[in-house]
Amino acid sequence: MSDFDAIDALLADVGPQAELPPPDVRRELREQARLSKAQVARALGVSPSTVGAWEGGRDPSDEIRAKYAYLLDGLAAKFPTEPAPEAPPSEDEDEAGDESESEAGDEAGDEVESLVAPEACVLCGAPATHRVAGFAQHLDPSDCRPATATGTQPAGTQPAGAQPKTKSTGPAPETAPHSAQRPRSPAKRAFQEQSGPADLIGQTVQAALAEHRGDVEATLAALLKRAIPDAMRLLDETRKGARYDIVAHPWIPDILRKQTSKGADRIWEARPKWTRHELPPGRHEVTALDINGAYLSALKTHLPLGQLEHSAGFAHDRRRAGVHLITPPAWEHEAVLPNPIGNRDEPGPLWVTEPTLRLLLRLSGPKHALCEPPEIHESYTSGATENLLEKFRVALKEARDTAIAADDEVTLEYVKAMYSKFVSTMGESNYNRELYRPDWMHIIRSQAFSNLWMKALKAHDEGLTVVRAMGTDELHVIGDWHRVFPEGRGVTEVKMKDIYTAGVDAADAVDDTGDMSGEEE
Amino acid sequence: MPERTIDFGKFGARGIKGSDAVARKLDELSGGIVTPVTVKRGLMARLHYLTKTEHSRRAARDAGLTVTDRTLKAWLDERRSPTKANLERIEAAYRQVRRQNVARHLLRRLNADGGTRVEIHPLNQSQVPRPLQRMVEYRTMNVRRWDRIVEAWASGDHQGLDDAWEDTIVDLGSQWGQYEYVTNIGFAA
Repeated sequence: MSDFDAIDALLADVGPQAELPPPDVRRELREQARLSKAQVARALGVSPSTVGAWEGGRDPSDEIRAKYAYLLDGLAAKFPTEPAPEAPPSEDEDEAGDESESEAGDEAGDEVESLVAPEACVLCGAPATHRVAGFAQHLDPSDCRPATATGTQPAGTQPAGAQPKTKSTGPAPETAPHSAQRPRSPAKRAFQEQSGPADLIGQTVQAALAEHRGDVEATLAALLKRAIPDAMRLLDETRKGARYDIVAHPWIPDILRKQTSKGADRIWEARPKWTRHELPPGRHEVTALDINGAYLSALKTHLPLGQLEHSAGFAHDRRRAGVHLITPPAWEHEAVLPNPIGNRDEPGPLWVTEPTLRLLLRLSGPKHALCEPPEIHESYTSGATENLLEKFRVALKEARDTAIAADDEVTLEYVKAMYSKFVSTMGESNYNRELYRPDWMHIIRSQAFSNLWMKALKAHDEGLTVVRAMGTDELHVIGDWHRVFPEGRGVTEVKMKDIYTAGVDAADAVDDTGDMSGEEE
Repeated sequence: MPERTIDFGKFGARGIKGSDAVARKLDELSGGIVTPVTVKRGLMARLHYLTKTEHSRRAARDAGLTVTDRTLKAWLDERRSPTKANLERIEAAYRQVRRQNVARHLLRRLNADGGTRVEIHPLNQSQVPRPLQRMVEYRTMNVRRWDRIVEAWASGDHQGLDDAWEDTIVDLGSQWGQYEYVTNIGFAA
């Protein structure tokens, strides 16, 4: 920690409020830099919706305002004037051969502004009162303290021809597309490098490709074979220095044990399997949507940490998670929305997991008021956290995003195998003996189903007609879904699988029974 | 504090002996035939396992399956079916032979890479009166050498396994006596 951080903060406090560009420019700048709201929000330490509000006209204040202004200044300096990626001047001592350095030298001829409130110099981190081409810095090199070595971890050190064969694997996460354009200042980095093992996946893929001399199919086969141990290794890496230990072999209550070797246990995962009974009259174009990486997103869920403890009673403790014996409420919206409990044949109480229970409690709440609250009879729970697999999930998600951006099928398949096999073998599987948590397996699956259910509800609320909700990731809707769900391959987006027509024309409704004729073409 | 529990369960604590939990876990890890011996499929699988080679016949005989070859053949050909007592003998012999056969492999995996991390889940005190409950935490430890434990387990030596396990958990520190009885012991191999 430099002592100047504190001074900087103090100076920023007493100085006048930083100037911000008008709201639409803020948004434009961010989009030009291809930064998501979430990325900006993470760097500034606020929530993405706050960033959205700033772009919608609200103004931040105080320290956050200064940070935001600093970010926007940096972006403004970059994008309108220079289309080519430009390296900050701090790097030109270290990397003499890089072609992007040629512009750095004559930047002193650019506009020089003096700053009222000193900002951290991009070269040394000490307060500087001048800004050159958007970067605060000392005009006289002798003012710069020579502590530059720390901040100049190069973004583009890999020579252009370093990976002749492995082009399809995409860059490792530290050479992610936008990282080459970041201004790097040692004192106040707008974007922190992700701490953690983000590049573990990239390195593994690179090594495997090198081993198989670029043979994509052989590499993929080898990687899929080792997906489970690799996922466990990644999990270990992501839990380094974490608050909670992963308890891998707790005592398991009988309800979570398989009844026979091939049989199932007694947990109901509430898998949706619902098709609308009657379509609205007329012929409709139905779109089959596919939710991307459903199990990957479901890794963010309330997972019980330790051994499950038994309790009986009606109260639900939000700080605990586990499995619960409940009597589900009656569902009266079967005609338009699937039952959140899945399609169950027998009535009566059943064991459900935390996500299902939370979904039911949420739906019974005042906001939705779709059903009665469920009746909880007994529970096996333990203290829970949503963050247990969070770093693991983020590492996988980032590898996935990078692979999609680079069109890198090998990494994509590998990441997919890692998370899906991790989930399916974390119970009593002989393929993964490191982790015996059938409770987690059920909870993660239920979370995926519950996420799908919420998407169905969102579609319904936005005026689409939900036709089918099936499995973990299949949602069929009628209507203009583009205004509800963004299309794409990211985990927050949906993919269009199929379009088909269903229903009957009003004319021949008499002889046709109204079943979905054109389905599954 | 006495190091060994004298009268376990006097105040309502529940759990099993640590060495039993270890044996159970080792049995789980060693895998084998899942179908019970009372079912024809399970019986046949066990008989085949015990009579496949001359070596396995000898091991079965050593493990207490002291019936004549003629009887074995009759069982295999389904001309006769074993009595209840013999079914138990077959099961016991199968268990022991199986343990001996996998012991070497299991030991190598457990000792590999500097040993295996063991989770010790403490005994269940939910039925103990509140003033008598004690703070017993979940503990983990790394066990480097499994030789004595696996050897005792493979030869069905309860006392030997108990002694070996007790010598291991002494490494937990002065509190080790609290972990003589546990709800579960978990490790992977």
